[in-house]
Amino acid sequence: MLGFLEARQVGLDDPGRLRRAEATRRVLKLELNKDRDVERIHGSGVNTLDIEPVEGRYMLSGGSDGIIALYDLENFSRKVHYTCKSICSVGRNHPDVHKYSVETVQWYPHDTGMFTSSSFDKTLKIWDTNTLQPADVFHFEGTVYSHHMSPVATKHCLIAVGTKGPKVQLCDLKSGSCSHILQGHRQEILAVSWSPRYEYILATASADSKVKLWDIRRASGCLITLDQHNGEKSKASSEAANTAHNGRVNGLCFTRDGLHLLTIGTDDRMRLWNSSNGENTLVNYGKVCNESRKGLKFTISHGCSPEFVFVPYGSAIAVYTVYSGELITMLRGHYNTVDCCVFQPNFQELYSGSRDCNILAWVPALREPLPDEDDEAETQKNPAFEDAWSSSDEEG
Amino acid sequence: MFPALHEVPASTSSPRSTRLASPRRDDTPTLWRTVTSSFRDRIGLPGPCRGSPGDVPSFTWIQTHFRHSRLGSGRAPLPSPFSPARGLKSQGMSRKRPRLVPETFGSRRRRGPGGAGEEPPGGEAGSVRRALRELGELFPRLLFQDALPPIALKSQVYSLVPDRTAADRQLRELRELGEVRVIQLGFDADAQGIVFTEDFRTKALASCRGRPYEGTVKRFLASVLPACGDLSFHQDQMTQTFGFRDCEITQLVNAGVLTVRDAGSWWLSVPGAGRFVKYFVKGRQAVLGMVRKSKYRELLLSELLARRAPLSVRLGLPYHVHDLIGGQLLDIVPTTSGTLLRLPET
Repeated sequence: MLGFLEARQVGLDDPGRLRRAEATRRVLKLELNKDRDVERIHGSGVNTLDIEPVEGRYMLSGGSDGIIALYDLENFSRKVHYTCKSICSVGRNHPDVHKYSVETVQWYPHDTGMFTSSSFDKTLKIWDTNTLQPADVFHFEGTVYSHHMSPVATKHCLIAVGTKGPKVQLCDLKSGSCSHILQGHRQEILAVSWSPRYEYILATASADSKVKLWDIRRASGCLITLDQHNGEKSKASSEAANTAHNGRVNGLCFTRDGLHLLTIGTDDRMRLWNSSNGENTLVNYGKVCNESRKGLKFTISHGCSPEFVFVPYGSAIAVYTVYSGELITMLRGHYNTVDCCVFQPNFQELYSGSRDCNILAWVPALREPLPDEDDEAETQKNPAFEDAWSSSDEEG
Repeated sequence: MFPALHEVPASTSSPRSTRLASPRRDDTPTLWRTVTSSFRDRIGLPGPCRGSPGDVPSFTWIQTHFRHSRLGSGRAPLPSPFSPARGLKSQGMSRKRPRLVPETFGSRRRRGPGGAGEEPPGGEAGSVRRALRELGELFPRLLFQDALPPIALKSQVYSLVPDRTAADRQLRELRELGEVRVIQLGFDADAQGIVFTEDFRTKALASCRGRPYEGTVKRFLASVLPACGDLSFHQDQMTQTFGFRDCEITQLVNAGVLTVRDAGSWWLSVPGAGRFVKYFVKGRQAVLGMVRKSKYRELLLSELLARRAPLSVRLGLPYHVHDLIGGQLLDIVPTTSGTLLRLPET
């Protein structure tokens, strides 16, 4: 550590190297901490979590009961033990609460004044955070599985919505219309994600085993359909031609630089793709158990080297390195299936929500204090072990 | 507290993080390469596959390897000399991670005399080649009256070479060099068999000796095999590129060298592989059943190998255990009494 600091001071290393090394070290030491808690609001499973990208301070959660809750993750209490309290929530007594399960929530990418939520009640609602009233509602014909708004968009305010129908709809926030439709899939769309590198590139994953990359400026179909065999037709049976997975494709996640795309499918596989030419990089993560009937929300770390991907694996969270496919560890702590997880890049913390209605905070384990330097009065000794012998000559 | 909705500026240039030129190449190789080579030096192993033909060498490697594996679970930690003495972590977490921490800060482990063994001799594909030879030794030739070449499964290779991406890459290289052929075994989309090309050619020729289709098979092996490294062949390929007539293709299917895949396409196959697949499927179910019937659905590896194989296991217990481990149908749990095989919960 001192070597890193010295090299940074002197100029031998670029300034980011120490930060990356420390971030990686912290991610490798993620574990449950008895001092950190998230208040339990939901009465049924937590389906989705999102941390705002501006400060990393506020977190939204959406549950199967239709409730949306907002938490403050920052600890200003000067105490070690801290529970992330829920500041406000859209509960069952709110007149505009979602009727059925909330599948996806997302903060407005540029500030925290607004957030969006989509639900199985076939609506997408745009909420004003200060008043907690919906500013706009979009209605669809089928249940909404997933929606996403581009984090880097400046020229457009489109929300991509994946529903039970095979058409991807783009809803425009400025005009309130959702007339832009992307056609190409054959079954329901389980996950959508905008590229964090280009504001016009969208990736969609569907139950027909295909993942398509779109440029929304183009009028004609998709850019690329990802093929797991990279064009070698001989590897699989002919029905599996041009598919990304051998089952439904459940989850999508771009890496932070937008150069690679991770997809996960019900064939228990996770694949890493080169997002510029759609090539399967053939990194083998082994069996990644996936039994979710709807989308699976997984996340990638940020600012580490090598980057890690956190995938819900049954009731645990599996941590893999992205580019080499190695399983680092399994984070166990939930009592039921984990549905979603998000990574807080400033403090290298992981928050995960599961069907046991809990949100757990995984915090890097601090260095333990060296015992010699502590004060003597700190540890409470059990009187049974206390020594009754006194070194003084007098009695008592 | 939150910026009000109407204050959202019309066109915000979203803040782009200034990406410094990240020398990712710097950090990654040293971190991971040092770790993998350092623990291998300490065990004293030159590479993943070693051993004499007498015992079952691969499992001693698995046991020592998984003693230091990072896949943790709820078992008690092994007193390892490498991890610094810290308090017990919470149950269920991997306890080998503290060892990685000093690596990140660049304290270089001394590479012992085995340091040169990081790149095993034989080039990049060396470890997979050695794994294939070892698995070939496990294959029971006498059971098939020596009519079949030794077939290894891809999942068995993963069991011997734990880095799957590297194993895949090395297998691809071996396929490109023409040393191995991959055969689709048919019962599972994932299960692919690997045979050495030389063995395959000898056995295929031997099986068709004296039969009417011998000439066609010889022509097929001589012209198509070196030219096309794929698993399957298409109608146009066979007729136009290689000049086989329909009746000749039927002869090849009768010989067992091709298996029907679809209308107009065929998988490459080993003649007589049907019996192998039948024994394999039955044996796999039997070995899984042995673990399933045990109390708590887990068995020590040593105990499993010491048990008498049920009659349906014709290919040998070690053969099946490699396949189950590599195919992740059984979980490996390192314990103080050895490696434990457990059925996954899901």
